[in-house]
Amino acid sequence: MKQERFIALHSREWDGLQSWLNALDRQPKRTLRQEQALEFPQSYRRVCHHLALARGRGYSHEVTERLQRLVQQGHRVLYRPPAPRWHRVAGFLLAGFPRLVRAQWRCMALAAALFYLPALCLVVLLQLRPELAHTLFSSAQLVQFEKMYDPANAHIGRSSGTDLQMFGYYVMNNVSIAFRTFASGLVFGVGAIYVLGANGVLIGGVAGHLTAIGYGGPFWRFVVGHSAFELSALVIAGGAGLQLGLTLLAPGRQRRGPALVAAGWVGAQLALGAFAMLLVAAFIEAYWSSIAALPDALRFGVGALLWLLVLGWLWRGGRAGTRGT
Amino acid sequence: MLDTVREIETPEGVSLRLRAAGALPRAQAWMVDLLLRLVVLFVAMIPLALFGKGGNGLAMLLMFALLWAYSVVCEVWLDGQTLGKRALGLRVVKADGTPVTWLPSVVRNLLRAVDALPGVYGVGLASTLIDPHARRLGDIVAGTMVIHAQELPAGQQVPVLPALPLPHVLAADEQAALVEYAERAGQLTVQRQEELANLLTPLTGQRDTAAIRQLVAHANWLLGRA
Repeated sequence: MKQERFIALHSREWDGLQSWLNALDRQPKRTLRQEQALEFPQSYRRVCHHLALARGRGYSHEVTERLQRLVQQGHRVLYRPPAPRWHRVAGFLLAGFPRLVRAQWRCMALAAALFYLPALCLVVLLQLRPELAHTLFSSAQLVQFEKMYDPANAHIGRSSGTDLQMFGYYVMNNVSIAFRTFASGLVFGVGAIYVLGANGVLIGGVAGHLTAIGYGGPFWRFVVGHSAFELSALVIAGGAGLQLGLTLLAPGRQRRGPALVAAGWVGAQLALGAFAMLLVAAFIEAYWSSIAALPDALRFGVGALLWLLVLGWLWRGGRAGTRGT
Repeated sequence: MLDTVREIETPEGVSLRLRAAGALPRAQAWMVDLLLRLVVLFVAMIPLALFGKGGNGLAMLLMFALLWAYSVVCEVWLDGQTLGKRALGLRVVKADGTPVTWLPSVVRNLLRAVDALPGVYGVGLASTLIDPHARRLGDIVAGTMVIHAQELPAGQQVPVLPALPLPHVLAADEQAALVEYAERAGQLTVQRQEELANLLTPLTGQRDTAAIRQLVAHANWLLGRA
């Protein structure tokens, strides 16, 4: 078939498709409701066929380029991602996320060890030799910690600021740390190991020092509420980073590229789950932990309950027989 | 440059051509995004200042959203383009050329923290220079790439002359070369145009200016003009 005849035969369809696609860029919702939207997949596949014909028959550049452009534009519309469904978020948080954490239990256990071992060692060590606190922290830092948890304060755990201000601060600070911990795991896991270890030393050091000087009461009362969500989220983000770095080192029975892509998917989901946990932690920390007037029994009771809740959720959530699959 | 084009076969059996975007336009898009976000933050600070310390917390939340969520939300809702990428005509797509979805976008934007590492995007720059598709580390792990969204216009600037049919049938790539010659002739010096046109004397039987005119006339015929 001659090129002119080919164009004359099909150019109406091409123009129609082109104008529909252009309208779609401007007004997506209205254009998708048009009658033509039902025709689109067939129309797109016919144009793909035309492009293959035009290439095969050696038609001129203009025709193939025009069809190529039409196909690229149509491909983007036909294969566009489905609209996000919000109920899947609930399903993911209830079932998918704990399942994913359990599937990566080796990395999670390693991350927990990297974080909790130095922390626990320091808490114990600082009870035996309190002067070691000065090796870990500068005196200015120690003064600041002591000021935050002075039993004489009306608000505990912070020097100043309202609840909302502290909520914003905790979200920005803690979630950024968790995200960076995950991302830095890509560097052969070194970044995640460093952040986990350093946070273990920092938190263990502060806890040990404050307990040793007799400020342990306000400190433990403050952290017991949000520690379940915050520390678990940090460990999970670190574990996500570790599995990314370990995949880079030892991809197993896969090529490194596809293995990394798969590990990236897993890591992103873990990071998103950790993000949700940190939001809860920040909320508790800003609006519950800071109330000074609560009785100790309530505080430690709620703290223990939250720990049980988090661990139970991670351990049982999404098992066969539970809802939300 | 031809070697940055990645051809991907679609399920329909035709190939898409994705032109990978290099470090420079992406850095420009990032600058546009950065400026936009700073402007939004500063404008929002004015009413937030009225709320006192609570406003401070809201400003922190806004900063968090602009820092971590902005790129993901834009890329998923605006068809793979943040506003800066839209200004520069760039787009994020998955490795198979389909539009980027939630998780790949989250991966590539979280791993931005690694690409940005030493100073300003040192790792990312090195990665885009090494990778054949100019991907930074986040793109490699996410399985995405950044492409030029606008197609190159073809056959637009060929000067109009009465069309002249070709004496032989030319192969598709030869036709393309002829049309591209006619397109770009205007950007070359007359001497260079003649030098190139004289290579085709066996086809045209002409030399110098007459050869140029005849090639452009053939190109007009190839483009389907009367």
